[in-house]
Amino acid sequence: MSKQFIYVILLLFVSTGCNKLLEQDPDQILTDEEIYGDEIMLNSVLANFYDRIQWGQHIGDPYSYTILDEAGRSDGGADNISDYANDLWRVYDYGLIRDINKFLVGLRNSDLISESDLLRYEGETRFIRAWLYFNMAKGLGGVPLVGDEVFEYVPGEPLDDLQYPRATESDTYKYVISEMDDIHNNLSDEKTINAARVNKWAALMLKARASIYAASLAKYNNQLSNPIKTTGGEVGIAASEAQGFYETALEAAEEVYKNSPYELSLKYPEDLQKNFYDALNIKENNVEVIWAKDHIYPGQTTGFTRENIPASHAEDIDRAYAGPILNLVEDFEYKDNRLGQLKIKDANGDYIYYSDPLDLFENKDARLGGTVILPGADFRGEEVLMQAGQKNLSDGKWVNRTSQPGGRDASGQLITSINGPVNNNEQHINKTGFHFRKFLDETSGASTRGRNSEMWYPRFRFAEAILIAAEASLELGNKAEALKYLNQIRERAGIQDLQQIDIDDIIQERRVELAFEDHRYWDMKRFRRAHLVWNGSLSNEKAVHYALFPYKIVAEGHPQNGKWVFEKVRFINSPNARNFQMRNYYNFIDQNWINNNPNIVKNPYQ
Amino acid sequence: MIVNKLKGLMFLGVSCLLLWSCGKDNYDAPSSTISGFVTYQGKPLQLKGTDQAIQLQLYQMGYELNDHIPVYVNQNGEFNVKTFDGNYKLITRDNNGPWENSQDTLDITLNGSQADLKLEVTPYFWVNSSEITLEGDNVLKATLEAEKIIAEAEMDYIMVLVNNTQFVDNQTNVFRKDIQGEELSLEFKEQLGDLADKHPSLFARVGILAKGSDQAIYSEVVKLK
Repeated sequence: MSKQFIYVILLLFVSTGCNKLLEQDPDQILTDEEIYGDEIMLNSVLANFYDRIQWGQHIGDPYSYTILDEAGRSDGGADNISDYANDLWRVYDYGLIRDINKFLVGLRNSDLISESDLLRYEGETRFIRAWLYFNMAKGLGGVPLVGDEVFEYVPGEPLDDLQYPRATESDTYKYVISEMDDIHNNLSDEKTINAARVNKWAALMLKARASIYAASLAKYNNQLSNPIKTTGGEVGIAASEAQGFYETALEAAEEVYKNSPYELSLKYPEDLQKNFYDALNIKENNVEVIWAKDHIYPGQTTGFTRENIPASHAEDIDRAYAGPILNLVEDFEYKDNRLGQLKIKDANGDYIYYSDPLDLFENKDARLGGTVILPGADFRGEEVLMQAGQKNLSDGKWVNRTSQPGGRDASGQLITSINGPVNNNEQHINKTGFHFRKFLDETSGASTRGRNSEMWYPRFRFAEAILIAAEASLELGNKAEALKYLNQIRERAGIQDLQQIDIDDIIQERRVELAFEDHRYWDMKRFRRAHLVWNGSLSNEKAVHYALFPYKIVAEGHPQNGKWVFEKVRFINSPNARNFQMRNYYNFIDQNWINNNPNIVKNPYQ
Repeated sequence: MIVNKLKGLMFLGVSCLLLWSCGKDNYDAPSSTISGFVTYQGKPLQLKGTDQAIQLQLYQMGYELNDHIPVYVNQNGEFNVKTFDGNYKLITRDNNGPWENSQDTLDITLNGSQADLKLEVTPYFWVNSSEITLEGDNVLKATLEAEKIIAEAEMDYIMVLVNNTQFVDNQTNVFRKDIQGEELSLEFKEQLGDLADKHPSLFARVGILAKGSDQAIYSEVVKLK
């Protein structure tokens, strides 16, 4: 090899060495000045926080609907769960609290923004922190309250100052409430775009919800024969505190009720079913939703519509992952009958024949059709045909005949619909008899993998304020006021007013009004009903999932030919009864948290 | 030739490595057994044996971070666990089981195996006698005589349970009937119908749930057919 060549190489080394290659500013790590000196950066930090606060049941996780008593998973074979995990929907995110507290320090030292803007940013940030604490408290009871502290660790120093013990359950809720008291007036009192950012009314709603949770925990926990509590009060609120919490809840809910720009949406009084669907699912000119997780194309979309759309309407291979179960459908009342049981058979045990499957649901609560796609109802203007099979006459008895989805008999009549329901472990076909309508997007293209849906997920809405006001009034002994509130909700649903009221009416109304909105589980817990309703017994109808199978009568010459009958069957994919045990009222404390912080005490039953 | 020799050497080398790698880095498997019964006055309790419903907690002392070893109790009130020699404390789990929640500690010094331990508890109720039979025409008959051990205990309900395997409890059953009330005795009769014909074998027991307790205490499992 020639020497010249080596010289050239050496020269190259020398000449590049002068380049400041190693002195570049990092483009992944931003300095404080870069963040707190630029309003766009401030907003993107906030956006990051907003993106990290969805827990529990939500449309991003359709499976979460199937473990309670609202829906069943139709996708594939049976789901053998019965018990609830000790860490179900457990939230313990002190990483986020640290990020928030660091942001607050930076915000307060920033000279970029005006005093009022600062208060607004600070208010929004503290709201998110309080929402996080509230979500931790729902699952764990009292948790360590660290305030605005940003901890520093110096190696070698003792850790004692960093190891905060758990606050009491009562103090944790009080902290959330006092934070909202502090900041709600700093936030805007106008509606925000797509309800995506919080305003004053969202803050008051959080205050109301936290207060009503704490109040009902104080009351109903102490009615158990063995109240759940720890000696330090990390779990368990004294019964004497219930009154105060109920008053706070009522005050906050009434302020939203009286002064906010929101109302119970009533845009289509002639079609209450459409009215209810639109009130929750249509973002344009919405008057009811106060705060939501918004989705937008491109980038921030949700797959809920794609995963759960009926097969006949699917635009991609995904479809019919889960569907509401008969238990929920029957919990919707009739207009003039509080018992919602469907009229499937007459007193003699014979089928009742319907000429249209929708006739079975005549005079039901209008919210039913707005929450669930009933057999034969329209979606996107086209019928969702549900047909489990035919009923043929053989020796004077009705015999079921089923086929592959979409199969037809010799005379060309449909046997089993491509929408099901079926009783097997196939994928992509419904097994409950119903599809979701709430949060299912009617927009074309919303069920494709390429696009997905822009459907939002409401976290607070006006109807909840009314339900909280009704509950708090009732518990404070003012039944007339409670009836006034509750009947507003019922009138919008097109069902009769109540004359009498007790706590079961509140629980019932919340069950149907707020289905799929992440309330059911927490309601059953705070009223201490979960272990009674989901008691793990197969002979308990409430703990077992049911499906509704529509059959078409195909019997030439028979007077009922062409009519519909229905069968209530056990939902095949939930073979076990739901079993909520006493230990499930509070999540377990993770051993790692105790290893890191020995001041953390365990929860009962752990 | 040389290549073959090299191959042989390499094979030998690799074999040596394989032999070497054992021994140093592995613990022996735990060899000592702790076994015994959850008892009241020396008699084992009849419990729910499925679903890890009844757990005891075994703590080993002398370590900084100590999480317990869960010890599962089967439906005859029996438990057993394999572990290393050492000093242990065995307690019941907080609020778990049909007994008074005292979490009394049982100290165990393990050197070899410990069998027939008795973890004494005070149950709310005790089943003195029970008889369950399946008579002609598939009629299930059950009688029960129970005793209240803790004076303040209140009965929530009595369960009559039938299952097609020998595991029978409030959750694992094909037939369950709850009888509310305060009666400490029971005369129960019910037509099982198809249920009895459907299963080739049937087992039954009765259980008493005290108010505020998370688990029931049961009678012994009886084979009906």
